[in-house]
Amino acid sequence: MTGPSRPRPARSRLRASPQLRLRIGFLLIAMVLSVFAARLVQLQGVDPEKYADMAAAEGSVTVLLPATRGEILDRNGEPLAESIDGRMIVADPALTAEDAPELATFLAKRLQIDYFQVLERLRVEGSRFQYVARQVPAHLAADVVADAEAKGFVGLFTQRDPVRVYPFGDVAANLIGFLGTPRKNGSARALAGLEDSFDQYLAGVDGEARYEVGAGNQIPLGDNTETPAVDGSDLHLTIDADLQFYTQQVLQQTVEGSRAESGIAVIMDSRTGEILALADYPSYDASDPQEWPKSRYKSSALTDVYEPGSTEKVLTLSAVIDAGLGGPRQQYVVPPVLNRQDRPIHDHWVHGVEHLTLAGILAKSSNIGTVLAADEFSPGQLRSYLTAFGFGEETGIGLGGESKGLLPDGAAWTDQVDDRIAFGQSLSINAVQMAAAVNTIANDGVRIDPSLIDGSATLDDGTEVGTEQADRRRVLSTEAARQTGLMMERVLDPEDGVAPQAAVPGYRIAGKTGTAQRVAESCGCYDGSHTASFIGFGPTDDARFTVYVVVHDSRTGGGGAVAGPAFAKLMSYALRRYGVPPTGTRPSRLPVEW
Amino acid sequence: MSNTAPQLRSRLPRIAEVAVQRARLTVVPRPRTRPRAPRVPFVTLVSVILLAGVIGLLMFNTSMQQASFRATALERQAADLTAQEEALRMELQELRDPQRVAAQAQARGMVPPTGAACVLTVGTGEISGTCAPALAGVKLPLDPPGPKRPAALDPPTVEVRADARVKVRDHGAPDRDRQR
Repeated sequence: MTGPSRPRPARSRLRASPQLRLRIGFLLIAMVLSVFAARLVQLQGVDPEKYADMAAAEGSVTVLLPATRGEILDRNGEPLAESIDGRMIVADPALTAEDAPELATFLAKRLQIDYFQVLERLRVEGSRFQYVARQVPAHLAADVVADAEAKGFVGLFTQRDPVRVYPFGDVAANLIGFLGTPRKNGSARALAGLEDSFDQYLAGVDGEARYEVGAGNQIPLGDNTETPAVDGSDLHLTIDADLQFYTQQVLQQTVEGSRAESGIAVIMDSRTGEILALADYPSYDASDPQEWPKSRYKSSALTDVYEPGSTEKVLTLSAVIDAGLGGPRQQYVVPPVLNRQDRPIHDHWVHGVEHLTLAGILAKSSNIGTVLAADEFSPGQLRSYLTAFGFGEETGIGLGGESKGLLPDGAAWTDQVDDRIAFGQSLSINAVQMAAAVNTIANDGVRIDPSLIDGSATLDDGTEVGTEQADRRRVLSTEAARQTGLMMERVLDPEDGVAPQAAVPGYRIAGKTGTAQRVAESCGCYDGSHTASFIGFGPTDDARFTVYVVVHDSRTGGGGAVAGPAFAKLMSYALRRYGVPPTGTRPSRLPVEW
Repeated sequence: MSNTAPQLRSRLPRIAEVAVQRARLTVVPRPRTRPRAPRVPFVTLVSVILLAGVIGLLMFNTSMQQASFRATALERQAADLTAQEEALRMELQELRDPQRVAAQAQARGMVPPTGAACVLTVGTGEISGTCAPALAGVKLPLDPPGPKRPAALDPPTVEVRADARVKVRDHGAPDRDRQR
């Protein structure tokens, strides 16, 4: 015990008593702890999710796993449309403005883009994001950016920007369509054709991966979740790319050669209804569509309807035979003019009274004879045959914008209309409908739905289309179909027929010409121009292909002269390409006169 | 008080002696059965295990990081190679473009077959149909017509007749130059 005599040091007076110090200490600790507690309540009680997310987001990245868009393939697996990995090259003008001319020179040279446009973009003020080039193949973009960096340029970076390529350019562009510039999120923007009608089927579903990164590398034991992408399905077409190319070229030659306005050619497999080639002229190049007017982004073979003209007589006369109202040798007296209700009916050539058989009526394409033969039908019978042939209903092969044409009905089907329809006027059809109808005769009287999709695929509206969905229905008896084929063979006869130009040496071919007056869109009347067409199949006794050639507004002749030679080229090429041997049977010798 | 003490003292010794005898505690001699294990090796062992564990974990982590770097690098390489493969495939497709093939074939004097056809059955060597050589001079137009020029670049053709009447056609010819 220290004595009271010992003086207290001055320092301890300042320190106050231990109790006081303890209390102050506790108070401070309590205050600090309350702050911690309040913060804890805020973190855990008020909005725990937000902070958990923030913590997760720190150092974790989310990567879009893009689904690869399905390819569009021809029947042999050749890609007509495929997707490749692409990049957009983007500049940050804040960094590029300084060396803009040098960088623009470099980029213009490497990417083959416009120098002045790039220069302008590299110098945009107040912007940090300017497109330099879009849809550049990934390897090229990576090379260019790496080289630019090696040369000391800064401010270029790349982002994903998928590229759709159409390696065959204009081959089947009318069917395939194209994709426009991708949307901001990189998804495709389908603008025409099959790309558009099967957009969802082709597109697939994008996936997503989220993982933690450190210094650009995935942390091995970090959190990661992955939703894999579901790639789009491939679309297999029945089109044969080489045949399609040849068809397009022949069509072009034909249309240009006859100074015509436009043309359509269809080649169909007679046994399966598969469309092997479907050409439209003029068309466009799918790999560079902006160069062509928008009105060409379609297939006229489906979207445009017209009066078929004399080719339709084939259907009328086959129905006459099938209904038992006449045979190929049935004899008709054909007058020079047939006076009917509202106006006289003429033939395309001036003649006196002719004695023609049914085969002769077809071979010489007599309107009057066809009307006389069709007079035997009971009311509504011809219409029901034409409906069975598929007129007035969409073919539904999978391309958007199809017009189903016009087949008059009810009160609109007057006697005058009945006469005219018998030889192909007063009704309108699209080219694929016509090809499918005549293919019925080629296929022993059974109509097969035409198809463009091999197998089956789902349209954006949910409909399944394709060869697996193709329906078959009997329209004519086998015998009626065979006899019609024999009659059609006479059309190509050098002496008795009107279209010897359509013959393919060595093969038996059945066909029919058509030279129809065209209805002008402007006035809704016949404007004096013609649609020349030729439809046929071969070999007659074992048909493999049905070919249809249509030339609108041909200036150098009718169906036989203009479309006939094109038909012959296409048929001959198709028969060779698929190695179809001549059947070696005797050609049709049906009499045309009596 | 003082006279009782000797008595007590005389009585005490016997009891006390026992008690004292009992109370005198002695240190229990350490049983010298086994020598105490030296502490140093144990500590060293534990330290070594600890150290090995820590170093092992560190190395394991490092190697995983290394693997991760490698994975990233390989992924990048795979992406590059995929892009390269795509580019080559695209080039191949361009070479297989029927238009290009047809142009090359025509340049070598080949013509599309027209005229009579015959079919050779490979298995039997049988020929059906009558064979005839392809006709020379058959040509296909190989370039589709190019896009039309904009009106500004494609002024209407002006025909000047001898009588100086001016006739204006409403459009020019389609542009065939695709390379432009």
